[in-house]
Amino acid sequence: MATNHIKNDHNEDYEIDTMTNQRLIKDHEYDGIRELDNDLPPWWKWLFYICIAFAIVYLIRLWVFHSDDLIQNREYEFAMASAKDALPMKNSATFEIKILNDPASLASGKETWTKICSVCHLLDGGGLVGPNMTDNYWIHGNTVEKLYQVVADGVIEKGMIPYKTQLSERARLEVISYILVDLQGTTPAIPKEPQGTAY
Amino acid sequence: MELQKFTYDNKLSNLFLWATVIWGVVGMLVGLIAALELIFPQMSGNLPWLVYSRIRPLHTNAVIFAFVGNGIFTAVYYSMPRLLKTPMYSKLLGGIHFWGWQLIIVLAALTLPFGFTQSKEYAELIWPIDVLVVLIWVVFGLNMIMSLVKRRVKHIYVSIWFYLATWVTIAVLYITNNLVIPTSFTHSYPIYAGIQDALVQWWYGHNAVAFFLTTPILGMMYYFIPKAANRPIYSYKLSIIHFWALIFLYIWAGPHHLLYSALPDWAQALGVVFSVMLIAPSWGGMINGLLTLRGAWDKVREDPVLKMFVVAVTAYGMATFEGPMLSLKTVNAMSHFTDWTIAHVHIGTLGWNSMMNFGMIYWLVPRLFNTKLWSTKLANVHFWIATLGMLFFSIPLYFAGFTQALMWKQFTAEGFLAYPNFLETVTQILPMYYLRAFGGSLYIIGALMFVYNVVKTAQAGSFVRFEHASAPAKELPKAKEGFHRRLEGRPLQFTLAALLVILIGGLLEIVPMYLVKENVPTISAVKPYTPLELEGRDIYIREGCYLCHSQMIRPFRSETERYGEYTKAGETVYDHPFLFGSKRTGPDLSREGEKTLPNYKPNSWHFNHMQNPQKVSPGSIMPAYPWLIENEIDLSHTVAKINAMIKLGVPYGDGYADQAVADLNAQAEQIAVDLQANGIQVDKNKEIIALIAYLQRLGTDVYKNK
Repeated sequence: MATNHIKNDHNEDYEIDTMTNQRLIKDHEYDGIRELDNDLPPWWKWLFYICIAFAIVYLIRLWVFHSDDLIQNREYEFAMASAKDALPMKNSATFEIKILNDPASLASGKETWTKICSVCHLLDGGGLVGPNMTDNYWIHGNTVEKLYQVVADGVIEKGMIPYKTQLSERARLEVISYILVDLQGTTPAIPKEPQGTAY
Repeated sequence: MELQKFTYDNKLSNLFLWATVIWGVVGMLVGLIAALELIFPQMSGNLPWLVYSRIRPLHTNAVIFAFVGNGIFTAVYYSMPRLLKTPMYSKLLGGIHFWGWQLIIVLAALTLPFGFTQSKEYAELIWPIDVLVVLIWVVFGLNMIMSLVKRRVKHIYVSIWFYLATWVTIAVLYITNNLVIPTSFTHSYPIYAGIQDALVQWWYGHNAVAFFLTTPILGMMYYFIPKAANRPIYSYKLSIIHFWALIFLYIWAGPHHLLYSALPDWAQALGVVFSVMLIAPSWGGMINGLLTLRGAWDKVREDPVLKMFVVAVTAYGMATFEGPMLSLKTVNAMSHFTDWTIAHVHIGTLGWNSMMNFGMIYWLVPRLFNTKLWSTKLANVHFWIATLGMLFFSIPLYFAGFTQALMWKQFTAEGFLAYPNFLETVTQILPMYYLRAFGGSLYIIGALMFVYNVVKTAQAGSFVRFEHASAPAKELPKAKEGFHRRLEGRPLQFTLAALLVILIGGLLEIVPMYLVKENVPTISAVKPYTPLELEGRDIYIREGCYLCHSQMIRPFRSETERYGEYTKAGETVYDHPFLFGSKRTGPDLSREGEKTLPNYKPNSWHFNHMQNPQKVSPGSIMPAYPWLIENEIDLSHTVAKINAMIKLGVPYGDGYADQAVADLNAQAEQIAVDLQANGIQVDKNKEIIALIAYLQRLGTDVYKNK
């Protein structure tokens, strides 16, 4: 590191870093490392001030004004309340429980089956933890109404959870239709033994 | 002035240097194994010690404490004697420090993969190893302090400020977070529970990043950048301001790991604002590092050492800006539990920590072996491949993080979760996991080039063990000195001042969490775990389930819809330790046992799932845990465990330990019978039974009265 010695008006000796022409701090030398004493960059100081101001405002908003958006229980309640208003479709009054035979509904039912039901009933319906859905044995009845009830409310003691919070009424019907129209009568790779009564 | 002659002994810095090199490669390779296991979940086969959830803590501990740790000690043992103009005080203490630290690393490698863990992130080591860590840390501190006493320069340089703050803060953090009641030589329960345990842990965890991965590395930066660039430090003033601001503010920021958790709003708010206030002090270090290179930028183009340092300091600047942004609640609502966090920490570790270590070692090895770097060209190639590797690692994970967060929060027009099956959100981001493994591989290829280069360099030269030096004796204090300059002349007072400054934030956050009852409102329905569930919980901890499954439902509609009611502080009061987790590679399990919720699974499902996850959920990336079906529950410590819990204030009632095993057997019987009814034959004394009992208990208490 190149340095120059200069003297000021009072005849004091200064050492200058020749590359930047800045004064090195006297006596600051550690294993050859020298130090300059540049002022803190103004933008850096402002960044610091702004962050401190943010902190103060934030804490005042929470501790003095109890702002809703900083209290997470209230934030949650608000989000839930506004979600309720936005959901007219969740429980429609006019709804008929019946098999949907059109290809679009069956395709959509298959999608739901693949995403959700296959976890317990296997993709081909052969059954795993849940019963085989391809044979003509049923534990809770084989009508669309009975199946609808099982899908909506579940059979908790057996591990079938209610799907009314996950599947719309239409989606429930579509997947039931898929079971009754497409899955019934097929031959799965490893069919589970029959459960319930034959219909 | 008479010059005193003395000798620097390079033995220890050299030993620590090679330990850094070796453990660096090992730690990164373990990381690669973990990354590959996320893509090929069957990789671990039937080997319990190879399973992802046991390997991941080995990776984090290895890279933090073995790779970065040894790098820090290399820097301290090399720079400190030269900055103080005295050899390190004791070769014996130095030797104990070196071999003790390596022993700790070996013990970590012999315990973590075998399921001996405390489950707190970066504090997984079991209590006997913790005792050893504290002893070795004291030896390290003693060696530093005595060297300071023997010094020949009056003032301590900024590097040493950072070393001292590191030492004193890590001591406070490590001891406080590891206070436990042992139940056996390899197992213990922390004295804290639930949300309080979480606060202590993340106060520690965050400051492990601050005071192990940041402050000592800044100390390293302040020595090696001016040395390598041969330029003066840009601003002494800035050093002072950013040093004190950094250590004072950092200690408060821990609660940002618990945003939207059951932690009270006031504590979360402190985590937010102190993180935001950290931007400038962190950038102070970056500015002082980068502007020290003014006038040396032509050298940066040529010299791989300086290139590494520039990327390191820039990555530090990026990570310390991103960190505060992730601490804003709106951002955190998205980023938390996703791969975004993993990307963020790897900018810090691959960028800042590793590049500083690489740069330092490229600079140091030629000096220790009195020769030139074997190949500057290869080092330049390493630089580029490492930078690329870092980008290939992080960018896909950022993308994975955004994608998964958006999928978790997406609702259909009908008001249902668009992706109710968690697995869909995992398979969606799998391509990103492939890319991450590719990026990590690039980074490791670079690291291997580095090893080859430094070995070749060492072979080309000969080790310079002793360097003779001379300096005048320490001067007497001058009359007129500024306040801080005076403090720099008094290292003990300096250290005490640093201690005081870091204690403020810690105390003001943690003490009220204990003393003010409203912070953890009681829920009368919440009862202690049964002995079987407790054993199951310990198996859950042993296998590292918490590394992929959180137990903290945040108060968002998208989470309560998916997982059930959000987690309350009062539900966690018997959780020694807390198991909130920090990543959702799999779904949250807080309410796994609640039958009325969408995530409920019957016992038989859990059995089949542990045996072969892909059989019940095709496409799942969870590894199999078949040994749970073979292993018998270890009942030899059940009584000790219950007694430890009673000592910690868990209301089992006096003398309950006597009947614990009988209760355990009765509950196990019920589960075995239920499994049998579903066609699964398994003895009631198998570990899987205990684990199922625990999972089926999770989150059910508060639903009982509904």
